[in-house]
Amino acid sequence: MVLLVGYPIVSNFILSIQDVTVTTLNALGKPLVGLRNFQTLLADGVLQRSIGNTFVFTVCCIVFQFAIGFALALFFNRGFPLAKPVRGLLMIPWMIPMTVTALMFKFMFSSNVGIINQFFQACGIIKSPVEWLLEPRSAMFSLIVANIWIGIPFNMILLSTGLTTIPNDVKEAAAMDGASKRQSFLFITVPMLKPVIESVLILGFIYTFKVFDLVFVMTNGGPVNSTHLLSTYSYKLSFVLFKYSQGAATANILFLILLAVSIFYLKFVYDDRRAE
Amino acid sequence: MTNRAVRLRSAVLGAVSILIFVVVMFPLYWMVVTSLKKEIEIFKIPPTLLPHVLNTDSYFAQLQHGDFNMFRSFKNSFVISTSAMLMALVLAIPASYGIARFTFKGKRAFILGFLVTQMLPVSVLLTPMFIIFKNVHLLNTQFSAILADVTIGIPFSVLIQIGYFASIPKELEDASRIDGCTRFSAFLRIFLPIASPGVIVCAVFSFLYGWGDLAYGMTFIQDQAMRPITAGIFNFMGQYGTKWSYLSAFAVVTIIPVIFIFVFMQKYIISGLTSGAVKG
Repeated sequence: MVLLVGYPIVSNFILSIQDVTVTTLNALGKPLVGLRNFQTLLADGVLQRSIGNTFVFTVCCIVFQFAIGFALALFFNRGFPLAKPVRGLLMIPWMIPMTVTALMFKFMFSSNVGIINQFFQACGIIKSPVEWLLEPRSAMFSLIVANIWIGIPFNMILLSTGLTTIPNDVKEAAAMDGASKRQSFLFITVPMLKPVIESVLILGFIYTFKVFDLVFVMTNGGPVNSTHLLSTYSYKLSFVLFKYSQGAATANILFLILLAVSIFYLKFVYDDRRAE
Repeated sequence: MTNRAVRLRSAVLGAVSILIFVVVMFPLYWMVVTSLKKEIEIFKIPPTLLPHVLNTDSYFAQLQHGDFNMFRSFKNSFVISTSAMLMALVLAIPASYGIARFTFKGKRAFILGFLVTQMLPVSVLLTPMFIIFKNVHLLNTQFSAILADVTIGIPFSVLIQIGYFASIPKELEDASRIDGCTRFSAFLRIFLPIASPGVIVCAVFSFLYGWGDLAYGMTFIQDQAMRPITAGIFNFMGQYGTKWSYLSAFAVVTIIPVIFIFVFMQKYIISGLTSGAVKG
């Protein structure tokens, strides 16, 4: 474990301050270049764009996943005959390999055979087919939609489980005291769910921030590097352009951001839970 | 509420839930239908919701030309994810038993280590692992992908199992020791059976991680004949980019095991998801 995970973290860091390309991969004395890899990347500009993309992608996904997942959790907690089986079935999107999901959405968003264009055209919303995946902004939009689809079950199941732990008598007491449904939601459900909500949001952030397969298969960072996330950009640098050190440098930025979030999570959320 | 009002409420809520189900599941349905259409029908406007002519060629054509044999990739994926699953279980069960039952120096650090590992992005591990595997000549073997997948399975499994083992009262072990069990046989006969739901959760998740992996399998294994099915799909997309009937058939085959696991293991998946995130 230490060998397979600890070593890569350290060596990735070392790699990021060296200059390793395909020709120097096997050489013994690898040139140490300090922060020059970062400088090269910054001068190129794709790195900044990838960082921006990663944040936009993550925030958009989380907001919608959480909202839709929460709405569904509330809906399925109302207790009716079909609630349990249907809620169970809705988990399938989360379990499917991301490669398949990416393929599916690539097909649906494709400009000539995609069902999405055909649907919008039939409704008269758009006149001619939209090139969803060939234009930077709509490509990003398509990626976000696909990832929201994957993330909804995760949010829904966790929030649902959280909801069942809220005792009914608290709500009944509030209703007796004259609380409206909205008040009871805002002042009882949400505060009592707070620990679950925190976990869902932070874990959601961590999972979404490191998404790789989806973007790699759907757009592969294109058109013209406009939809790269840190994960796909790092992959491209290392395994397409064989600039291992620059790839490692990019991966390190991703790692540091995630590490900060993880520490925050462990310190404030996980430990609280332990203490209870 | 009167009886009728209750029934009406169930009917309305049921109908809404079915509507939600249809909307959410549409992409999957669309993929399955597409895999059964002829290539010409896929291009039809307006699109057909059911195939006019049932066409299973997309599945059987794969059996003939060996270049992108999806059944072979299926087998590769199966070998990789099953081995990764077994390896994760064999290593994680004793580890979590140890962490849960004994107190030792640095125990907290151990747990933290596993938690952080679980959050690591693939991209950070990919390049260094690539270089390690290259140096030890594991590149282009399925073992490299198995090892890499295990690094996702182990932390998850350990964290889940600690919870299960810790919840078993110590008295039970003491009682079994008095009755003449050794520590090891107590572990085998008492702990393992009680913690078996946890073992199943770990098995299911480790398998799913392995099955869904694209990055490791694609990067470490160059030889198409040994690559997992996810890498197969990706390759196929590059080669026959718009042959959607074949591509969707490929995708349908990929999700068959997932559906099986879902049908038989649903309970364990929910428990894994919630305990992994909330309880830790």
